[in-house]
Amino acid sequence: MLRYIASRGLRALITIFLVLSFAFVILRLSGDPALLILSPDAPPEALEAFRKGWGLDAPLWRQYLGYFLNIAEGNFGQSMRDGRPAIDLVLERIPATLAITLPAFALKLLIGVPAGIFAALHRNSLIDRLVMSLSVAGYTIPSFVLGLVLVLVFAVNLGWLPSGGYTSPWHAVLPIVTLGLGGAAILARFTRSAMLEVLGQPYIRTASAKGLIWRRVVTSHALPNAAIPTVTIIGFMVGSLIAGAVVVESVFSWPGVGRLLVSAVANRDLAVVQAILLLVAACMVTSNLVVDALYGWIDPRLRSGRTVKAGG
Amino acid sequence: MASIETTPLAAEAEKAERGKLSRFLEAYPPLVIFGITWIAATLIVAIFADLLAPYIYSALDLKARLAPPVFMGGTWAHPLGTDELGRDVLSRLVISIRISLLIAFASTILSATIGVLLGFLAAHFRGLVEQVVLTLIDFQASMPFMIIALAVLAFFGNTLTLFICLMGFYGWERAARIARGLTIAANEQGYAASVRDIGASPLRVYGLHVLPNIASTLIVSVTLTFPEVILLESGLSFLGLGVQPPLTSLGNMVGYGREYLQSAPWILLAPSAVIVLTTFSISMVGDWLRDRLDPTLR
Amino acid sequence: MSALLEVDSLVRHYPVRIPGGLFGQPATLRAVDGVSFAVSPGKTLGLVGESGCGKSTTAKLVLGLLPPTAGAVRFEGGHVPARRNAEWRALRQRMQMVYQDPLGALDRRLPVVAQVMEPLTVFKIGTPAERREKARDLMAAVGLTPHLFERFPHELSGGQRQRVVLARALILEPSLLVCDEPISALDVSIQAQVINLLLDLQDRFGVAFLFISHDLKVVRQVSHEVAVMYLGRIVEQGEPEKLFHEPAHPYTKALVSAIPSPWRQEGYERIVLQGDPPNPVQVPSGCAFHPRCAYATAACREVRPVLADIGDGRKAACHLLSPIASA
Repeated sequence: MLRYIASRGLRALITIFLVLSFAFVILRLSGDPALLILSPDAPPEALEAFRKGWGLDAPLWRQYLGYFLNIAEGNFGQSMRDGRPAIDLVLERIPATLAITLPAFALKLLIGVPAGIFAALHRNSLIDRLVMSLSVAGYTIPSFVLGLVLVLVFAVNLGWLPSGGYTSPWHAVLPIVTLGLGGAAILARFTRSAMLEVLGQPYIRTASAKGLIWRRVVTSHALPNAAIPTVTIIGFMVGSLIAGAVVVESVFSWPGVGRLLVSAVANRDLAVVQAILLLVAACMVTSNLVVDALYGWIDPRLRSGRTVKAGG
Repeated sequence: MASIETTPLAAEAEKAERGKLSRFLEAYPPLVIFGITWIAATLIVAIFADLLAPYIYSALDLKARLAPPVFMGGTWAHPLGTDELGRDVLSRLVISIRISLLIAFASTILSATIGVLLGFLAAHFRGLVEQVVLTLIDFQASMPFMIIALAVLAFFGNTLTLFICLMGFYGWERAARIARGLTIAANEQGYAASVRDIGASPLRVYGLHVLPNIASTLIVSVTLTFPEVILLESGLSFLGLGVQPPLTSLGNMVGYGREYLQSAPWILLAPSAVIVLTTFSISMVGDWLRDRLDPTLR
Repeated sequence: MSALLEVDSLVRHYPVRIPGGLFGQPATLRAVDGVSFAVSPGKTLGLVGESGCGKSTTAKLVLGLLPPTAGAVRFEGGHVPARRNAEWRALRQRMQMVYQDPLGALDRRLPVVAQVMEPLTVFKIGTPAERREKARDLMAAVGLTPHLFERFPHELSGGQRQRVVLARALILEPSLLVCDEPISALDVSIQAQVINLLLDLQDRFGVAFLFISHDLKVVRQVSHEVAVMYLGRIVEQGEPEKLFHEPAHPYTKALVSAIPSPWRQEGYERIVLQGDPPNPVQVPSGCAFHPRCAYATAACREVRPVLADIGDGRKAACHLLSPIASA
């Protein structure tokens, strides 16, 4: 178990390192950062000062090292738009994003998991087909289309809810529903196939053949085993709590991290983009680690240190 | 008495008849037939877009701005209405289908190629090369691709070629996993090992033997990637960060049309419907193919 | 008589990790631990032993598919390279391999005739038409009828598939064929046919076999000489008739006594081996066989016996047969 966690931790560190290097490399590949950030018609002294200030005149390996040292100190650079530290800009947007992604996450779990289990237990019934069709639909309808259709129906035609903005809790309803429905569809699909796979295993047939009550077979044998693949996808959803609402925030003009990212990309505000990239990577890696630890807890085979590919 | 004898027979005949139909529907569910038809139709539209578009997609008709489609009281001059600049929605839709499908095709092929090549490399060299590829796969799978794509677009700016290449990195890890797994299996005990032992070059082993053998599984995985690329492309274009005007794509149309959600919803409803129907069709057909060809793949 | 294939003190170890500690403890798996033998042109050497005794690893080392940890393989007077370079590729024309599982060794997506001619294509011998002609001739020679030539592997029976694999191995006219359990995946009724085919092919093409099997009866039928392996080493070697009639080494005795036969004499005693099954990670000290040997002495636990002449053209590695030389 210890060895398993250790190797996973190493993987996590490598991922963070790769993301940092990725940002460094594409930043250098994309041209002279001084020109990009200051604009080409800035006075030459300013460009020179910028290059010196960022250590761009140093050899590449020293730049690389300095880049890591800066980040280790929490220095992600300044936003080129208002000159404030990029990390502050990002951090102050997080509450707004969590205000819609957390309830949406709850919605996904509350709808997706029971629907998937129910569909698997009543395989090929009418309800199963309905759940699966809705799930494919939920999975193939892009969130911006779903969001705009909801706006059209509930804001424009019925006038029940506001279409965008963030002045009251009612404004959060449509973004939450949009995010929640899409995620619930994916989760339902996943849970169902995990359940079906487990239900087809010999030990389930054995358990029911030896006379266990079916309800007990499901709760004590099938569910724990089906939880293993489902936990992966839930982990991915937790990891994307920060960044999973890029499109939806834009549809509803919600002032979260996602919208900040979109405007930063449009304005090529590189420091902000990089700060968000690292934040997202940190979230994904942390949630992956938690998922891996959970695996070890749910699946005793892993405690011995063997790794089971989760697939996906 | 005679009636008693004939009734079961008639019922049996009817049952057989129904059995035939239901067996056909079992093999080809209506949604799958619909999906195949829809995919074929969009392909035809994409190929003959120039012939099918009644107007040039960027032609302005300022007198007929925001004209409603036929079924909302418009005229046949613009069957699906016009947008805020008086451009014909049908023409734009037809060209958008072409662009979106082109991007999706090119990117999917690119991602499958990258994935298969890296998978082969990992399986052929094992050791360090394999560890590097596996780490890359982990990295790719653990980061939301949308964020990576946005970062690259921020750093590099946007051109159509770059955009296609960028989309081509979506989903390569799935192809790489499949290619690596199947190739290792083939190298360890099977046909690939025996051909290698004859003295065949790696090019021959992988190109002539391994690739044809894993093709069906790969194609199935491509049907998973393809609709996801369409969704990703339309999402980025919707945000104004994907396909750039004057070029148009499905997501791009929705993005610009949302300003007119209240006054002219048809601008965005038509491309939205096309996106949903296309991804839905490919997913349905993909699921169906998966069940028929390769039950081991999820 | 100069040997076609000479194997000299071949060793192959694998580093492995056994449970214990945070990352396991490093240990050595001694798959092949000093094996020497020779095969003469047109003759057959049978290599027998339990699974895990290093037979298949020996085969791979002989073919240069694996680099040896120590020792050398010489073939037709030249050194066998263990890296896949031009020299190694050239050697494929002279030595080929036949696999245990013919279905796995054939590509499911190509007709069998295309696979038989593939070695010619790989080495760019002849025109496509000549290659096909030669493939058809050889397939007929291994007893396949022409209507099977264009079939796919899954459309053939197990015996037919093994004939295809044999035809593919023989098409380059090699002087050595390494057969790793070539018939153990086949039905018993088919086994005899394939054995007869192998003997017939040896007569016709003058090809030498390194024949690897766990089946002593089969080895006895096809071999001119037999070597018995135990835990990566040869423990007894000699002519099959003598070796199976009067096994010298206690391990060979146990193996021979386990051959089922309807004609046992009075007083026959089946030797059932005691103790742990062999584990190549923890090879016992001294004679590797001593924990399971009924006759083991103190010397057997400490000194490793060497393969020595015991007269009659036979060799054995046992302290009971040859007094301990200063080892």
